[in-house]
Amino acid sequence: MSLHKLRLAAAVPVTISTFSSRLFLKPFPNTLTLGLFSRRLQPRKPLLVRAFSASAAVQDIPATQTSESSVARPQWKASIDFKWIRDNKEAVEINIKNRNSNANLDAVLELYENMLNLQKEVERLREERNNVAKKMKGKLESSERERLVEEGKNLKESLVTLEEDLVKLKDELQHVAQSIPNMTHPDVPVGGEDSSAIRKEVGCPREFNFPIKDHLQLGKDLDLIDFDSAAEVSGSKFFYLKNEAVLLEMALLNWTLSQVMKKGYTPLTTPEIVRSSIVEKCGFQPRGDNTQVYSIDGTDQCLIGTAEIPLGGIHMDSILLESALPLKYIAFSHCFRTEAGAAGAATKGLYRVHQFSKAEMFVICRPEDSEFFHHELIQIEEDLFTSLGLHFKTLDMATADLGAPAYRKFDIEAWMPGFGRFGEISSASNCTDYQSRRLGIRYRPSEPLQTGPKKGKANLPATKFVHTLNATACAVPRMMVCLLENYQQEDGSVVIPEPLRPFMGGIELIKPKLK
Amino acid sequence: MSLHKLRLAAAVPLTISTFSSRLFLKPFPNTLTLGLFSRRLQQHKPLLVRAFSASATVQDIPATQTTVSSARPQWKASIDFKWIRDNKEAVEINIKNRNSNANLDVVLELYENMVNLQKEVERLREERNNVAKKMKGKLEPSERERLVEEGKSLKESLVSMEEDLVKLKDELQHVAQSIPNMTHPDVPVGGEDSSAIRKEVGCPREFHFQIKDHLQLGKDLDLIDFDSAAEVSGSKFFYLKNEAVLLEMALLNWTLSQVMKKGYTPLTTPEIVRSSIVEKCGFQPRGDNTQVYSIDGTDQCLIGTAEIPLGGIHMDSILLESALPLKYIAFSHCFRTEAGAAGAATKGLYRVHQFSKAEMFVICRPEDSEFFHHELIQIEEDLFTSLGLHFKTLDMATADLGAPAYRKFDIEAWMPGFGRFGEISSASNCTDYQSRRLGIRYRPSEPLQTGPKKGKANLPATKFVHTLNATACAVPRMMVCLLENNQQEDGSVVIPEPLRPFMGGIELIKPKLK
Repeated sequence: MSLHKLRLAAAVPVTISTFSSRLFLKPFPNTLTLGLFSRRLQPRKPLLVRAFSASAAVQDIPATQTSESSVARPQWKASIDFKWIRDNKEAVEINIKNRNSNANLDAVLELYENMLNLQKEVERLREERNNVAKKMKGKLESSERERLVEEGKNLKESLVTLEEDLVKLKDELQHVAQSIPNMTHPDVPVGGEDSSAIRKEVGCPREFNFPIKDHLQLGKDLDLIDFDSAAEVSGSKFFYLKNEAVLLEMALLNWTLSQVMKKGYTPLTTPEIVRSSIVEKCGFQPRGDNTQVYSIDGTDQCLIGTAEIPLGGIHMDSILLESALPLKYIAFSHCFRTEAGAAGAATKGLYRVHQFSKAEMFVICRPEDSEFFHHELIQIEEDLFTSLGLHFKTLDMATADLGAPAYRKFDIEAWMPGFGRFGEISSASNCTDYQSRRLGIRYRPSEPLQTGPKKGKANLPATKFVHTLNATACAVPRMMVCLLENYQQEDGSVVIPEPLRPFMGGIELIKPKLK
Repeated sequence: MSLHKLRLAAAVPLTISTFSSRLFLKPFPNTLTLGLFSRRLQQHKPLLVRAFSASATVQDIPATQTTVSSARPQWKASIDFKWIRDNKEAVEINIKNRNSNANLDVVLELYENMVNLQKEVERLREERNNVAKKMKGKLEPSERERLVEEGKSLKESLVSMEEDLVKLKDELQHVAQSIPNMTHPDVPVGGEDSSAIRKEVGCPREFHFQIKDHLQLGKDLDLIDFDSAAEVSGSKFFYLKNEAVLLEMALLNWTLSQVMKKGYTPLTTPEIVRSSIVEKCGFQPRGDNTQVYSIDGTDQCLIGTAEIPLGGIHMDSILLESALPLKYIAFSHCFRTEAGAAGAATKGLYRVHQFSKAEMFVICRPEDSEFFHHELIQIEEDLFTSLGLHFKTLDMATADLGAPAYRKFDIEAWMPGFGRFGEISSASNCTDYQSRRLGIRYRPSEPLQTGPKKGKANLPATKFVHTLNATACAVPRMMVCLLENNQQEDGSVVIPEPLRPFMGGIELIKPKLK
């Protein structure tokens, strides 16, 4: 589940060039287009520029290194495979276009080329200086020695300058290259939101023989949700849960954890305050006017918008054993989002709030296994929501709807009778090595790679970057929207789905309270 | 549960004047003296100056209104100055007993000045009205001119006096907010060592093997990860893992279900609140030593306890007497900077930046708060007894009370890893201290029958409610107790019976196979 923020820069027009013939295309007029948790904020605006660093004011990516001084020193480095990008320039260019990204590939390649040249020049000078030093070891004429001293001095000065330039150039390359989105799974439909393909559809909308209420009205009538007091105490889009709603939240989380643990996922609770660098490394933008992230005053810390962030961080900067993979986690946390810029009908009630509870799955695995686990994750989601009796559909999200880290993303949208539409309730993304290259999570294959008759290096096999995947198991408020609205009865009560009852003391029905 | 921060100002020496003969006094050398959640931070330092407002640097309270350095307060506490003036001696003794640096003389002087100025303003208003009245009739032009002139100069004086009055009232607020609540007559007078034991349950378990502390158990059983959290978030953050996650959920679920049986309404609360609410509850959201995390670029901060959003839920309202008592049990995460905390008692889960807690909160009529204070501490004692803990309940001494508390019972449980008692909960009766700041009143159902007065037969006057708060379950400290007390020789940990149904029947946390 992602909360990537848009930074509007020079708009790259969407070029819906090719549709895969395998895709099952149709428009989704009944879909809440604002997207879950700001993923698809403000549809049809230029998309998917991600965070660079603190220098949020930089709008145009400089094409040469002359303007490098405006770039803030990055605090960490993504291990971006520039050589691969250069060797696959055309594919990367098409991918950038398909994903409606404003990444500037030409600038990246130019900077990379300059960087390589400068690096060579630095190496050449170093060698020269070494030669000069070597020459000075023997016996020399004093004039010759003086000349060499002078030459060495000059070389050293040039070297210092060039090395400084190299550092700056590398920083700028980082800065510019971080906007390049992940590559895209070949099956992902190319295009904007309307191009997303249905993967699966379960159930059908319930027919009501009485006038229905939305979850806000149900929450008020059943004394379950208090937005009014929260508006005074905290601000709009905060809420108290009350009475059976508290038990329902706990039941949802307990049941979800118990189900997902059966699939071999390790339960976790996580810190909800993290260093902002971790937020960046996961592909989110912690700063700037439109950030979704709450920052802590006077520190470099911020509140998590999703447990994906502390989950990504838990194995940061480490080399895992291949035998330890896959690592599969299910984490419970509270999530905090500014929801800057969110407006409109879909922000009503629990649909879009500043703080909520969520159980999030996260997988760290070998590259060759990530496709498998992506399907495992979406299958778990589909099983959970089917058990709760929801009517929903699973979408293979189109290229322009993917956050920069995602290689492929499946969203689940469930029927919300109060809105009279589908609304996003979960999301499962395969981020391949996008996050691991930033977080520094590698593994060491158990056996040496056997790539032909090369000799030497018979020691340890080289480390590789792991793949990471994340998926919502239960975003409580949106589940509540679905459960309250879909399970309301004519007398104003709400039926609790059977699987949850053992987790809330056997309660089968939320009844109107006696006043 | 409170997290009142100390602001060090002119030290008022502790005068341990009188001990109630009813008290059962003895020293507690085996008690973790740092106190739970910073309540008793840095003992033996001058205590209990609370937040004024943003002007956290004001150290000395100005003796006259010439130094109006205080920032405009954003809200007003309904402090009963008349009562304070009429009970000056009792208030003075209370301030001393509580080791507070509130300056009563300044408050009373400002109050007197304010009252005088108010009278003067009223006098001028009357005069101006008289002048206006005189001008209604027919008048000589010279007389009219004189009256116009007089009215103008009266108006000018009035404007400037009214401005002074506003400033004076602001300053009075600023200075008076440091006056602590009054104290229950049974509370032992003195510092921490004077706190009285109310009850003691169980005895320390005898171990026939080398025991581990909860940190070691957490590591060996793969339950707690401080190392990753230090990288991701900073020190004193943690991940819970495996059975520890289930144990946290079981503790919270079980606690809620037990406390709901006593008629408490379950809640979850916002964890980001406006900082004014934090102040109104008696905490200090700003300043160098604040315990409160603030959100960048807003007036919001993170809650250190659900007491804050619970206090806020009925803010600025008049409740029906028939609606009282309101009894809540809220689950929230809590966030604390723990600035200044150091030492052995900060080890592991004992003092952390973020934790889960179930907190009870009661809003009731003044005459019922003593009853509910005992109900709250009884609930706590019952919960901890059911879990098999060895603990004692303390009636906290005057110098150990936060400014809002009229009386406070702490529970300290035996923690074998520390080899001492450590605070696990706290139950405070804040009487009307918070309600006067939060503006929570109720309207008595029947008119007061105070003698043969006539008129005003309509509605009875509103009164301030009393508020009480008490910890039902502070998860990390419960984990310290449960892991350390229930460890077995083979390194496993037994789950107390009441929690088992809430964690899928698990009876034992066993070492994982590697």
